[in-house]
Amino acid sequence: MTNKLKRYEKIEFLGEGQFATVYKAKDIENGNIVAVKKIKAGSRIEVQDGINRTALREIKILQELSHRNCIGLLDVFSQGSMSNVSLVFDFMDTDLEVIIKDNTIILTVANIKAYVLQTLQGLEYLHLNWILHRDLKPNNLLVNSNGILKIADFGLAKLYGSPNRLNTHQVVTRWYRSPELLFGAKQYGVCVDMWAVGCILAELLLRVPFLPGESDLDQLTKIFQVFGNPTEDTWPGVKSLSDYVEFKPSAPVPLKNIFIAAGDDLLDVIGGLLVLNPLKRKNCTDTLKMLFFSNKPTPTVNSKLPLPQSIKSVKELEKPSLKRKLLDSGEGGTLPKRLFF
Amino acid sequence: MDDSICPRCKTTKFQNPSLKMMVNVCGHALCESCVDLLFLKGSGACPDCRIPLRRNNFRVQLFEDATVEKEVDIRKRVLRDFNKKEEDFATVREYNDYLEDIETIIYNLVNNIDIVNTNKKIEDYKRNNREQILKSKGKLSREEYELEELLDLEKQQEKMRRNEIKVEEAETKKKKLREKEALIDELMFSNANAKNIVETFAQNAKDTKETETKVAASKVTQFSTGIQFGRQAQSSFLPVPTEEGPAYVYKPITTVTEGPKLPPEEDFAGLGYNNHIRSETEQERAGGFTSNLACMRALQDALAGLYHVKKL
Repeated sequence: MTNKLKRYEKIEFLGEGQFATVYKAKDIENGNIVAVKKIKAGSRIEVQDGINRTALREIKILQELSHRNCIGLLDVFSQGSMSNVSLVFDFMDTDLEVIIKDNTIILTVANIKAYVLQTLQGLEYLHLNWILHRDLKPNNLLVNSNGILKIADFGLAKLYGSPNRLNTHQVVTRWYRSPELLFGAKQYGVCVDMWAVGCILAELLLRVPFLPGESDLDQLTKIFQVFGNPTEDTWPGVKSLSDYVEFKPSAPVPLKNIFIAAGDDLLDVIGGLLVLNPLKRKNCTDTLKMLFFSNKPTPTVNSKLPLPQSIKSVKELEKPSLKRKLLDSGEGGTLPKRLFF
Repeated sequence: MDDSICPRCKTTKFQNPSLKMMVNVCGHALCESCVDLLFLKGSGACPDCRIPLRRNNFRVQLFEDATVEKEVDIRKRVLRDFNKKEEDFATVREYNDYLEDIETIIYNLVNNIDIVNTNKKIEDYKRNNREQILKSKGKLSREEYELEELLDLEKQQEKMRRNEIKVEEAETKKKKLREKEALIDELMFSNANAKNIVETFAQNAKDTKETETKVAASKVTQFSTGIQFGRQAQSSFLPVPTEEGPAYVYKPITTVTEGPKLPPEEDFAGLGYNNHIRSETEQERAGGFTSNLACMRALQDALAGLYHVKKL
């Protein structure tokens, strides 16, 4: 265990979350750049179970997964006691949230298609393996400098499909939480992740969060303002959900009026993902088969996807410098006699 | 600039150290207080040439010679319309002719030669090239931005060079000290002729100096950057990726179950699988959970790996 500790050489601090701090590090054995996620020790109550629960969940699930669009867990090691665990991941340069918020980046339909495609492909793999991610949001969709998107942060992920186990409905960041979770459903399926994907797709188009609710109730209000109130016809059994509340009736707004620049095939995808009734919501496989993804424009090749300037500039450092260009272009000798002031 | 004098009130810099000369498009200077006084209403005539002027066109005089200010003004105005780029011409020759024309116009306007005809020329040009002017305008701002970037770059290089020089100086100082010490050591402990030793050291020092100057000389050519050099190279847009990747075709994920094939989900009810499993409650269905899901997972769990062969 001790030599593993030395294997990863800390380069810089990357970020800090509720449960962990993340460092950029170099793997001495093969020279790869990796991200080391050091789980915080946490409170006494959390530690009495032995190891942080989210970390355990993440390790258990990730150890069994291997997909191009899911973050790869490369190594796990602990320093001293078992409660002090570090997870080693592929290093990712940025995430989708940064890309969405960077207003110097222009996202074309082809770019959006590529990002959503990768998300769906990773998610389809998870769902086929009976795993719900339960915390999909742009912040958790990491992108590396090659434009490959990977689903990360499996701290809330869980196996699904068991009839007797109750799940908590307090999952998923509020803005991406589906209506059935907001109504307190204890048994659910892949549909909770699909709603989140729909919200992310909408956010890619709008460049601002689509449904930014300020509280759980406000979240439901925002949802129903767009999609109209659910009724027993459109969503059978909705009234039986434990946290169901009656809302002031409102009429649905056509998606065309919200996403004015989107084509019909794209609107179909949004409309398929953002359906109030979870059973009517499309799953990954069905969504991937939709015309939008096979239609033109074709999805951007990964290496050509737009990235924030900071990442690009690092890459450009490796290219020959500008000075060289200046000298080269001066060789011609037939310079215009323009005066500059 | 100490002898500057306002042509109207005859105040000099000597009398009033805070005297500020202002200048307008006509190129005749006035002091700040005269401008305040004369152009109280916002506009008025130049006391020198009676040209109508506007107050907010007055600027602080930067150059001692007011005609330079005038020229800068005129040049700015003329170049706003005559904004063709080198790329708009077939040959450098044509471009140079065009530049020559501009300079003539500016010269005429500055020196009040044939103003009527020159202004007419400008008007003609404006009328004939309206589209061109508008198009170039967009490019212009971008070019200015690039210029700024280049200037920034140059500043950085300058800083780097200064640092380099500093480091080099420190180094040569150290080197000299070391050489001196070595010489003294040699003189103290060596048995050779003192005169010879001094001579060889002097020769060595000379040699190293010569090589150093050579290196420095080559460095100077490296750092020479002309602003206009990089312009053509930089002015091209970033390439818009036009080529498209392959179209997406859905490929189902293949999972190796190593077990018998599952019946399709639609047949669960018909085949009676559901009889052995608790059917979902209304609440569960509303949450997006169906007993088919549980049935599917249980079946997969049961059947996966049945055909697995242990590798011994």
